[in-house]
Amino acid sequence: MAHARPIATTRSATGIPTPRLAVWWILASEVVIFGGLLGAYLMHRIGHPEWAEAASHTQTWIGAVNTFVLLTSSFTAVLAHQAAEKGKGKEAAKLLAFTILGALTFLMIKSYEWTIEIMAGYTITANTFWSFYYTAAGLHALHVIAGAIIMGFIAVDAYRGRELHRVEIIGIYWHFVDVVWIFLFPLLYIAK
Amino acid sequence: MSENNEQRDEQGHDDGHHVNYFKIYVILLILFAISVVGPEVGELTGLRWITLITAFGIAFVKARLVVNNFMHLAWERRIAKWLLASSLILLLLFVAGVAPDVMNHEGNNWENVAAKQAVERGLAAASGYSEEEAESEGPVEEVIAAGFSAQNSFGQICATCHGVGGEGDGIAGAALDPAPASFIDPVFWQGRDRDRVITVIRDGAAAVGGSALMAPWGALYTDDQLEQMADYVMSFRPNQ
Amino acid sequence: MADTLAEVQKQEVHGHDHDHHDQGFVSKYIFSTDHKIIAMQYLFTGMLMGVIGGYMAYVFRMQLAFPGISVPGFGQVSPGEYNSLITNHGSIMIFWVAMPVLIAAFGNYLIPLMIGADDMVFPRINRLSFQVFFVSSVVLLLSLFVEGGGFGGAWTSYPPLSASGDYNLTQLGASLWLIAVALEFVAFLLGGINFITTLMNSRAPGMKAYDIPMVCWMIVIASILFMLSVGPLLAGAVMLLFDQTLNTGFYDPARGGDPILWQHLFWFFGHPEVYVVLLPAIGITVDVMATFSRKKLFGYKLVLYTAVATGVLSFFVWAHHQFIAGIDPRMANVFTVTTLLISVPIAEMLFVMIATLYGGSITLTTPMLWALAFLAEFLIGGVTGIFLGASGADIYFHDTYFVLAHFHYTFFPIAIIGTFCAFTYWFPKMFGKMMNETLGKIHFWGTIIPFNFIFIPLFVLGMGGQHRRIYNFEHFPEIAGPEYFQLRQIATIALLIMLAFQAVFFFNVVMSWWKGEKAGRNPWRANTLEWTTESPPPHGNWPVEDLPTVYRGPYEYGHPDREEDYWPQNLPG
Repeated sequence: MAHARPIATTRSATGIPTPRLAVWWILASEVVIFGGLLGAYLMHRIGHPEWAEAASHTQTWIGAVNTFVLLTSSFTAVLAHQAAEKGKGKEAAKLLAFTILGALTFLMIKSYEWTIEIMAGYTITANTFWSFYYTAAGLHALHVIAGAIIMGFIAVDAYRGRELHRVEIIGIYWHFVDVVWIFLFPLLYIAK
Repeated sequence: MSENNEQRDEQGHDDGHHVNYFKIYVILLILFAISVVGPEVGELTGLRWITLITAFGIAFVKARLVVNNFMHLAWERRIAKWLLASSLILLLLFVAGVAPDVMNHEGNNWENVAAKQAVERGLAAASGYSEEEAESEGPVEEVIAAGFSAQNSFGQICATCHGVGGEGDGIAGAALDPAPASFIDPVFWQGRDRDRVITVIRDGAAAVGGSALMAPWGALYTDDQLEQMADYVMSFRPNQ
Repeated sequence: MADTLAEVQKQEVHGHDHDHHDQGFVSKYIFSTDHKIIAMQYLFTGMLMGVIGGYMAYVFRMQLAFPGISVPGFGQVSPGEYNSLITNHGSIMIFWVAMPVLIAAFGNYLIPLMIGADDMVFPRINRLSFQVFFVSSVVLLLSLFVEGGGFGGAWTSYPPLSASGDYNLTQLGASLWLIAVALEFVAFLLGGINFITTLMNSRAPGMKAYDIPMVCWMIVIASILFMLSVGPLLAGAVMLLFDQTLNTGFYDPARGGDPILWQHLFWFFGHPEVYVVLLPAIGITVDVMATFSRKKLFGYKLVLYTAVATGVLSFFVWAHHQFIAGIDPRMANVFTVTTLLISVPIAEMLFVMIATLYGGSITLTTPMLWALAFLAEFLIGGVTGIFLGASGADIYFHDTYFVLAHFHYTFFPIAIIGTFCAFTYWFPKMFGKMMNETLGKIHFWGTIIPFNFIFIPLFVLGMGGQHRRIYNFEHFPEIAGPEYFQLRQIATIALLIMLAFQAVFFFNVVMSWWKGEKAGRNPWRANTLEWTTESPPPHGNWPVEDLPTVYRGPYEYGHPDREEDYWPQNLPG
């Protein structure tokens, strides 16, 4: 269905282009969503030192590998932005593809990790620590999946040289997903 | 059609920032390595502050690097910085306002008995006693199963109607008709014995022809606990 | 050369007017991306949900006044059904009536028009937000018909009652309710992005920040409040859903959780939420008052900064809903102070309204009557909040009908009076016809007078100790006497009268739409930009080459340099 961009979208009284302004607002609301969940977790964790036993069974090294994967994917995402700024659509698309690959790697590693843990009996109901663990990491993983899908669409457009300004936008979102994991990692894996 | 204020660099960036993304990435990797190794060192040496600084402190540094350089917040209009700062401040406000109730298990005139017992159970289990993973039937049942005290249970469940002293003067009982029984009243005990007390607690007063306002509580107690509750109620009985 | 937004737009703009020529009914009205159509969709869905919520109130008030009665149009009300009715009445009125109508419908309709834009900045996200909202409404209505019936744990949904089907007896309904609420939150997050970004960026050339009509500011400030406060609750709702369906123990103290956490998560959002709905209603009222007193708003910057201050303060008062929940009394002290403080900026906004009216040349049209009623009734509601804000007094008042009467004296002006005020004022623009003034006034008095007779008795009952969420007061001998029941019956009969008068409104809407006098562009002779285009505005709002430029603020009424008593924003010089 044909859709014309309204003139409203191109105006910029603040000096920030509207898509970027929008993504900052999205991030602000995501900060309080994740923050609320992680804040609740942190308060419980501090109040319940007996969760240390359950927490000791998280796989720190797997989590560390995933942290490395996400960091690298953030790097490729910002390189994609650099390419898009220079008008190099095909290169931007290639770098976005690497970022998506990073997302998929992250998800595969996480699936493997969760499979081990669930088979060892650490299910979501085993202990409230595990409930928080799966909920927080799961919410994060959902954002990874959603981000990767949207990134795919933008990469296809970029390859065709269209809508290159969107590469920056999905990049900002992606970096946020990375930042959330930067905090999730110590909170879930290291706090023992 | 001219639009307003689009005279800056069309991406909205100020000119002249050139970030070496690769350099930032390498720094991030180094910080990451420290943040993984650091806690190991912290554990080995037993110095918790090492773990705190390397795991959590570095997380903040890494986040700041990503936000400033990859997201270009350092070169963004002020409004975006204010926005993110506001959301973080509100988050802190939330945690600060909630922690006194949720993180702590006691305070000014209150005590979270259930949470404290959960902590004790967990710590005891971790230090080697055989842990029976209690099938959770619900909060009240768990509390009782954990460290049962008939006096505590009476206080939590019965006293609201029957009063802490068993005199039938609990707050919730004031509006009830018939009024809740007073266990210190010798008239009450005429024709009532311990077996009947157990039956009423377990099956409700209606089961013995009394008022349905005295509900059945059998689901909450094991047989042994019922015996303890009956003993406690009997303890109010005035000596003949 | 970077493919910038501006360049892309240049290529596409020619197609803008011609794009929608061959659209069928479905894509033009059901799947529209036009902000005005989406606004109508929200408006009608919200009003329909309002009728459903009102019906629920009718049923449970009949039960309360005449216990055991077989309610006409429902049947006998069982205790479980009573709980479902009050739970869903509250949830529907706040989430599916007040928010969609005041924010989504009027925000969507007015913001682009009032700032001289051709649409919202993200029309497809706009459409998506309505679709998500629509799904949430369907899920909620579905929850009423599943096994066990609709959720019966009160709109506040405290665990452990809400976490376990064994306790609330409405297991399936509880989860569906929670999912519906979560979807509604997502819809408003999506919508909020549009309102905020559009207002911040897409203003007409020449429109500075202080030239924006107050209603637009208020809707955007409300959206910001919403976006920043709903996050923790969304996380908490996921946790509650898991407790309900997966048997996790997030809110179970024996398993390391804490039910008080839910209360905090809920009210951290719940309190800003009431200002989320209040501020747009104040914005509407203020705009209508300026137009019909032909006078400048008394203190534009004052109101604006006060609204922002109210928004900020609203984050610091939430635990006044939890004074007797077992929170640390030291926290209660803090929250008493902040709660009493927040009454100051709000009172000040009401004073500004009075100051605007003072000395004005007042015309008592129907919208103006509604605006005046908002002022009077909300004043009563706000003042009664002071009693509740003091933690000592609240020990007695908490969970009594005093609270209920307080929040109806605030919510009713916000959601109902605010809606009628906006609807009767902008109806000529939305539909191109004038509403019938006589019918409008009959509807007005037929709503306002009974409204007071519903809730003043409830204040009295509350002070007498009557508790909320009770199915049958015959079980409470001290408040079951005939004089108490008389008060309940007065309230219920007043409700019946008020509901009956709503028929006048619907009749007026249909008749006016069909046969009303043509409205023209600016029947109220108002200043703001929406009145410079046709009624109703075409797609794109103005011809592309004719988008307005702004030269002054929105409230230049009675300016000494002008012969006319109004000065539209878009007239040069």
